[in-house]
Amino acid sequence: MKSPASSIEGRPTDAPAPRPGLVDRIKDPDEKTLALILLAPAFILLALIVAYPIGRLIWNSFFDLRLSGGAARFVGLENYALALQDPDFWNATWNTVLITVVTVPGALVVGLGLAMLANLPFKRRWPVRLALLLPWALPLAFVGLIFAWFFHTEFGVVNDVLRRLGVNTPTMWLLSPRLAFAAICGAIIWKTSSFMALILLAGLQMIPKSLYEAAEVDGASKWQQFWQITIPMLMPSIIVALIFRTITALQTFDIPVTMTHGGPGNATQTLAMLIHATTIDYLDVGYGSTLAVLMFVLSLIVTGFYLQRIGRSA
Amino acid sequence: MKSIFDSRSLRLLAAAIVVLNGFFPALWILLTSLKTEGELVSRPITYWPHNPVLENYVRAFTDQPLLKYLGNSFAVALLSTVLSLVVAACAAYAIARLNLKRRQLVLTCIVASSMFPLVTLLVPIFETMRNLNLLNTYTALVLPYTVLNLPVCTLVLVSFFQSISKDLENAAMIDGCTRMGALVRVVIPLAAPGVFTAGILGFVNAWDEFLLALSLNSTPAMRTLPVGISLYQGEFTFPWPTISAALIVAIVPVAVLIALFQERVVGGLTQGGLKG
Repeated sequence: MKSPASSIEGRPTDAPAPRPGLVDRIKDPDEKTLALILLAPAFILLALIVAYPIGRLIWNSFFDLRLSGGAARFVGLENYALALQDPDFWNATWNTVLITVVTVPGALVVGLGLAMLANLPFKRRWPVRLALLLPWALPLAFVGLIFAWFFHTEFGVVNDVLRRLGVNTPTMWLLSPRLAFAAICGAIIWKTSSFMALILLAGLQMIPKSLYEAAEVDGASKWQQFWQITIPMLMPSIIVALIFRTITALQTFDIPVTMTHGGPGNATQTLAMLIHATTIDYLDVGYGSTLAVLMFVLSLIVTGFYLQRIGRSA
Repeated sequence: MKSIFDSRSLRLLAAAIVVLNGFFPALWILLTSLKTEGELVSRPITYWPHNPVLENYVRAFTDQPLLKYLGNSFAVALLSTVLSLVVAACAAYAIARLNLKRRQLVLTCIVASSMFPLVTLLVPIFETMRNLNLLNTYTALVLPYTVLNLPVCTLVLVSFFQSISKDLENAAMIDGCTRMGALVRVVIPLAAPGVFTAGILGFVNAWDEFLLALSLNSTPAMRTLPVGISLYQGEFTFPWPTISAALIVAIVPVAVLIALFQERVVGGLTQGGLKG
């Protein structure tokens, strides 16, 4: 590793020569100053796009504020009281929690299966790797559209497969509240299990082969090896994947929007969709902010729960 | 280690399951895009197009300004990726290399920003952009996307900077390079793969984003691909053949990108994931 350094040796003598004044000033900057200068852009952006909006959000949630007209009016906790009595809010919260509870473990199980299959010793790794990457790279909105087409009552491939299996009346997947919900969960699990699989696959590849060899010598069955070696060794990856997945599941928006628009009725409306409709469609920023604060609290509770768990196991 | 998967055919079966699971939806849309309207509404449905046609691709571009959507997506994704790489590279260098007392705290601050639900940021961002008259501009999306990509870009770049031997940099400085000179001449070139990996992740993230794009840039001329295509719905029916063709057009650029650089993408994803 000596060669790159020595090849650079010749250059600095001729390059910075023309402007010695400037060079002197940046030649040996105080490390602290340099660190501050380098970190400033990131933190200015974070302040503008994350910190300020969060503050603004909380502030707005105490106002009756509609962009459609009229001045902001301070209403204290009225919006919160309204939200807690709003059946739409509870419906959307329930749907969001249900989607999280179904799709996070679902994606974990499917993702673990995919990761175990992908970890087999293939000669060519790229088809399998690309097959795990493609769902990750597809926009959620596209996945929603594609699955809406899969579950199309008349021309969808799902009903065609069912017909071949002997179900003759086509199922109206997206028109029944429960089936639409199931279809949405299926689409989310398909989309997210691949990313889960990639993370778990990296974890699987870090488990030393010698552990399995030793277990083999001791006469442990495959089943025992899976529960006694694979799962415990994979735990750190599983926890990281679960945290990421849960946080994104609570924000579910794209797939229900493109698959059902929240329908039938509002059977598949999530919190993110309710906030979006309240703010963007009805321009009710005050109430929308209140709903967003409540959603923020929900995700804080969930993240806190995970972090506490990690703290305990560490 | 003996296992049932020692047999070649079972290994092939395992590969087939993974490959089919990953490719089937895109493949199905590709087949749909090649069918005529007549074939599409025939029952029972056909799997393989009887006489493949490309007319849906022509219609995808003529019925809707798909080219415009493509351009918007490219512009927004590229601009935000470059911007977040520059900002993240600066921050990552400071975190990885400089004598910073609370480096872990600084990194945690940046990464924790990705824990905020985007939809909670949407309301105030929408209000602010509306007040600044920035709705339906590239700026409205580029700024938030830059911040969205900051955590993953910073994480990937920090670990790349840390993997570059400090001796190389010191040697350059002993040889008369300034710290900035050493950064530009030694560290950045050596970290190029990391910059590239972070760039791909950022590009795909921005390319895929839907909520902000739908809310902030809703006029037809400013729509990105996910918004444009999901709003394709005709007045009376959902034009599936045209939508399928548009989806394929929209999927191909990113599919090619990840196919070419799959090892790097996987490396970057798992690094970002495992270190977070």
